[in-house]
Amino acid sequence: MKEKILVVDDEEGIRLLYKEELEDAGLNVHVAASGEEALAKLEKDKFDLIVLDIKMPGMDGIEALRRIKERWKNLPVILSTAYHHYKQEFGTWASDAYVVKSSDLKELKTTIKDILRK
Amino acid sequence: MGYDILSKVIELTDSTEALEKRLKDVAYLLIHSFAFDQCAIYLLDQDKKVLTLAVAVGSKRGCQEEYREDEGLPGLAIKNGKPIFATQSKSAKELWQGGLDKGTNGFNTIVCYPIKDDWFHGVLYLKNKEKKTISIKQKRLLGVITLQLATAIKNYQCIVNLRDINTKMKDMQYRLVNAEKLLALGEMAASLAHEIKNPLVSIGGFAKRLSHQMSLDSPYMSYVDRIVKEVAKLEKLMDGIVHFSKEEGYAFSSEDINSIIEETIAFFEDDFKKNEITVIKELSLNVPKIDVDRQHLNLVFNNLMTNAIQAMEKGGRLTIQTYQEGNWIVAEIHDTGGGIDPKIMSNIFNPFYTTKETGTGLGLAITHSIITNHKGIIEVNNNIGVGVTFIIKLPLAGKEGRILEAS
Ligand SMILES: Nc1ncnc2c1ncn2[C@@H]1O[C@H](COP(=O)(O)OP(=O)(O)OP(=O)(O)O)[C@@H](O)[C@H]1O
Ligand SMILES: [Mg+2]
Repeated sequence: MKEKILVVDDEEGIRLLYKEELEDAGLNVHVAASGEEALAKLEKDKFDLIVLDIKMPGMDGIEALRRIKERWKNLPVILSTAYHHYKQEFGTWASDAYVVKSSDLKELKTTIKDILRK
Repeated sequence: MGYDILSKVIELTDSTEALEKRLKDVAYLLIHSFAFDQCAIYLLDQDKKVLTLAVAVGSKRGCQEEYREDEGLPGLAIKNGKPIFATQSKSAKELWQGGLDKGTNGFNTIVCYPIKDDWFHGVLYLKNKEKKTISIKQKRLLGVITLQLATAIKNYQCIVNLRDINTKMKDMQYRLVNAEKLLALGEMAASLAHEIKNPLVSIGGFAKRLSHQMSLDSPYMSYVDRIVKEVAKLEKLMDGIVHFSKEEGYAFSSEDINSIIEETIAFFEDDFKKNEITVIKELSLNVPKIDVDRQHLNLVFNNLMTNAIQAMEKGGRLTIQTYQEGNWIVAEIHDTGGGIDPKIMSNIFNPFYTTKETGTGLGLAITHSIITNHKGIIEVNNNIGVGVTFIIKLPLAGKEGRILEAS
């Protein structure tokens, strides 16, 4: 059975790209455009992993991360953002991994595989 | 008569004219007052250890442009720290008191007086065709005159140094103002970079998907390829700009340098194969762990290896060494990519300086800033026509109390 993951990003281009690329990589991909939408989807459905953008209007990724980890403690979350330095600002304290967005999705794919294999 | 000359010398050397003019005036005064055929003044370059002709008046015959510090009578006068007074018969020609000096050819009376106070500044060189005697009084007078010349030369050098310092300070001020402007610009660029990154990722990502769908012989393949390449360059540029505008945010932890290097080498495995590069690892097993930001240091080795790979497109050898040297952990990355043109050497660490079509010129600039933030040192050994060695030295943990930025 395919693993089900949820991609949360306010940018439509990123959602589309990630969905297609990750589906090609053999995953069952769902998307959400905001932290709120992601939480609603998590309530209804069971996921194996979340890819979460940090910088979003409304509820940002950090707040979403806090709520997700509060409720679904063992659900792995990969934080994703435009630039490296956010890692230091927010830390990886609660997420399972951290990936910088790039048109080359190699790193994201290997990170997802590594986490799902555990 | 002596006091007349002396007061004249003081007047001339104290004037506000350029040094050369003042020396020339004194030289004229001396050949007239002492009735010599030639008067030359040589200045000593302390670094190069040569005496260079500053002024010469009277007969120009045998007046050498330059003496090494150990050459001729001027050299001898400096070496002995004493003046040379000599008269000789025509047959002796070039040999005077054990010093060989072609400049004496045709002269039979020589005065070679070191110009010194607490240090040597040059030589006063007087020559006369005819034999003549120099009285004790004249010798004393010359002693005082050369002392006055020494003072004038020293003062002049002080002024030159002051001017030099002044220009340097102006330059520094200018750079400070510039740095402030750059900072403001950097902040703007960083926020802009954020807005740009997301669309860039999707343009590049979809272009890549497109290229995978296309058959290799499609006439549009080169268009898509170009898009992919240009986007990759823009992404790299944006990452670089953000790096420079957000330099805080270092997270130090105790790390093994060797393992960071191994990680980077593994990352480039495909590229090494493609370019036929042999990788030689000489990693010392004894290097202790040190406090570094692992991710940033990864970037350092990534940048250096990228440059090396790009320099060795037709194959070569990449040697990576680590070792401990006193209080430093040292990593050397050596390639056989032909080295760097010495003309551009002074630019390679400047942001945006690149000789590559797809380069941003930020690789080494970022590398340098990361090493500096680790209180480390980066050095380049350029072996023109052969290759380059980048040497990175990082301080051992706990040494010199690095100031860790609170984040
Ligand atoms: N190992 C090397 N061998 C030869 N030339 C080098 C080497 N490393 C750097 N250079 C020269 O220094 C320049 C600056 O390097 P730097 O890494 O800063 O930028 P770049 O490589 O041109 O661009 P980018 O790093 O963005 O790809 C290069 O363009 C190249 O001319
Ligand atoms: Mg480079």
